[in-house]
Amino acid sequence: MKKAPDSLADLGRFSEPALYILISLADGPKHGYAMTQDIAAVTGHKLGPGTLYGALARLEARRWIEALPAEDRRRPYRLTAAGQRVLRSRLDSLRALTRVGRSRLADA
Amino acid sequence: MPGRAMTAGRLLRLYPRAWRERYGDEFLLTVGDGALHAQQVIDIVMGALDAHLSSDVRRATRQRAAAGKGASNMESVFRTVCGDTAFRHTTRDALISAGAMLVGTVLLAALGVWLNRRGWPVAAGISNMMAFPGTLVMVMPIMFLKGQPWRAQVLIVGVTLLILTAIAYLASVA
Repeated sequence: MKKAPDSLADLGRFSEPALYILISLADGPKHGYAMTQDIAAVTGHKLGPGTLYGALARLEARRWIEALPAEDRRRPYRLTAAGQRVLRSRLDSLRALTRVGRSRLADA
Repeated sequence: MPGRAMTAGRLLRLYPRAWRERYGDEFLLTVGDGALHAQQVIDIVMGALDAHLSSDVRRATRQRAAAGKGASNMESVFRTVCGDTAFRHTTRDALISAGAMLVGTVLLAALGVWLNRRGWPVAAGISNMMAFPGTLVMVMPIMFLKGQPWRAQVLIVGVTLLILTAIAYLASVA
């Protein structure tokens, strides 16, 4: 059966960088450099340019983000409504996972 | 520093042209003028490899190229929906390939019987053994490989048929 490309997990090794990018764009449009700085500040991970643009292209292909007109050669990206839904869904599942993990740790 | 910028520029040449046209400028700005560490170089090289191989990345660059050429929103949506991802076959494609597989399997099996009667047992064995797997591989461009680059299709189908034929030959002469 064909799997609908509606989950971040479908992005394989790019799923985590893609999650970081969606989180970074959740508070407004940013260009590539601003995203890497924001992601490094929030997660402690500095995305390499190859990984960043691999994830950006995948997110753009799925229309979870969209490019805005370039400003001085820098092109900002913003989250689309579909991207917000995917991010919300992923964060909900992570919250559920965290809850289970914490409760099992408490039981141990 | 010009030397460092040149290194980033050189690495950028590893990416497909469409990718460079789409992301090149911002990529260089994101890499910046700082020294490129070995880890960054590896990441960029891996990214270039991914840009050549990933259908998602090709789709993103094509979307932008279409938009840049003044494509309509409808065309842009059409390109997104019909872009080449893992499986792009329709119900019609599935029916055509199922029919082709049935006909191909029966024809190759019949050819095997005929070759055997003509006194060519090795050729008959190859034909019989290839009847189903050979037909399955040959209909792959209609089904599983639909939307993939034609070179990839030719390579996958050709090499697989070659391997299958070799195995069938070895099994027939044994």
